[in-house]
Amino acid sequence: MAVRERRRVLVRRYSLFERVVHWAVAITFVYLMLSGLALFWPPFFWFAHVLGGPALVRIVHPYVGIAFIVALLVMLGIWAKDMVLDRLDIEWLKAVPRYATGQEEGVPESGRFNAGQKLLFYTQIVAGILLLLSGIVLWFPMQFTAGLRQASFIIHDLMAIIAIGALIVHIYMGLFYIRGSLQGMVEGVVSRAWARAHHGRWYRQVEGTSAVITEEAHD
Amino acid sequence: MAFEPTAIKAVSASVTPAPGVRNVPEVVKLIDVSSCIGCKACEVACQEWNDLPANVNRPFFGSYQTVPDLDWNFWQLIKFNEIQRDGRLIWTLTKYQCMHCGDPGCLRACPAPGAIVQYANGIVDFVQENCIGCGFCITGCPFDVPRLSPTTGKVYKCTLCSDRVSAGLEPACVKACPTKCLSFGTRDQMLAQASYRVEQLKANGYDKAAVYNPPGVGGTHAVYVLPYGDSPEIYGLPRDPSVSFVDVWKGGLRWLGNVVIFGGIIGAILHYLRFGPRRVPAEEPVEAGAAPRPTEPVPGDGGNG
Repeated sequence: MAVRERRRVLVRRYSLFERVVHWAVAITFVYLMLSGLALFWPPFFWFAHVLGGPALVRIVHPYVGIAFIVALLVMLGIWAKDMVLDRLDIEWLKAVPRYATGQEEGVPESGRFNAGQKLLFYTQIVAGILLLLSGIVLWFPMQFTAGLRQASFIIHDLMAIIAIGALIVHIYMGLFYIRGSLQGMVEGVVSRAWARAHHGRWYRQVEGTSAVITEEAHD
Repeated sequence: MAFEPTAIKAVSASVTPAPGVRNVPEVVKLIDVSSCIGCKACEVACQEWNDLPANVNRPFFGSYQTVPDLDWNFWQLIKFNEIQRDGRLIWTLTKYQCMHCGDPGCLRACPAPGAIVQYANGIVDFVQENCIGCGFCITGCPFDVPRLSPTTGKVYKCTLCSDRVSAGLEPACVKACPTKCLSFGTRDQMLAQASYRVEQLKANGYDKAAVYNPPGVGGTHAVYVLPYGDSPEIYGLPRDPSVSFVDVWKGGLRWLGNVVIFGGIIGAILHYLRFGPRRVPAEEPVEAGAAPRPTEPVPGDGGNG
């Protein structure tokens, strides 16, 4: 046969439902970020034109915000149990300087999510809830007092800045720095080597279960 | 827009300079509260000149006041307030509308380029075709003046009859006033007239009479003469209006946001260039039918995990 058959070992990392929820959060967040930045700083105002026109963006942004919160709460429901910080996570956080500079030694193995991912998750949950509450006030400016509106602007902008900062780190890690992560969130599987290297404790949990798949690959 | 671009001094959400070059005197509408008789001719003139649909079909709310508050279709209102001072009843009649601030909080709060403009003569105008209906101006305004229309999704307020003023006419409310409570002219003329009137009031026993032209908003282009100038609150006017909240909101937070966004992107790029991508070497693929091999990572393969 001209084609050599080979096998590769993959580990199922995210179910279809988990991926749908993640990308629902991601797409709504990006819309909210771009439309929000358009109103935050005039040099970004052209984002509003790209998204269909500034007056339309003003109407759509709050509804997309509600969709974002719904998706985020579903995410909280399915991932909360995997997001509990444990003792090794604290050790991991102390080793962040080594982790961030590409050193392997002294960095404890992570479970399904590493401590950085867990902190990102909590950041987005807290920011999302505060963005929702302040956003409701800003949605109906005639219904709330001036003091409440002023506080809401500060909270909304501050939480958006924090959430965007966390997103920049997340996109950098998932797309650029830790190669192979994106495959997990797109196709649902990662290589066994990736699972061992980045989430060793998790890999040992799923080892020997149906989550580990050996599939025929073709060159 | 009532004025040519050459008369525009400031434009909302614009980082480049406004196009105004004309050298014109600033105008002021002077409101001498002591001579208002509450006839509401100014309210009628405003509704008529601006073709605003009346909405007076409201239940009686216990006041001579026409409506409880300003609205998208009601840009100026005489506030009737009953208050007690020195054991006496005082009934204040205060015409309330946009103050046309020298440093307009609405304009600085507005995120839509060109939706709020300030003319060289001091008039602050909303340009509804550029308005996106976010209502940020409502929070930016220290006088609680802009009003959002639920049907059009745009904000409205007093224009100081910028269309009439641009044609050399006085605002409609001033034209309609029968007692000369309202005057209109250059800022210098009106401030001189206001000081003169304050002296008259003081001579008549109103020793607290004062001009209301608050410096916290850069002075206003609607200026009041208040018989009890030590308590502007009794006229429904804020004691010391300022745009300091807008400074935090549009200054500090914007600065922080740009540091986080651009700092984050630049930091990520530098980190990538220095520490590169982290790849996990792929396991050596297994020939079909061959005995399974140990699954240690094989270095140097370079494949993406």
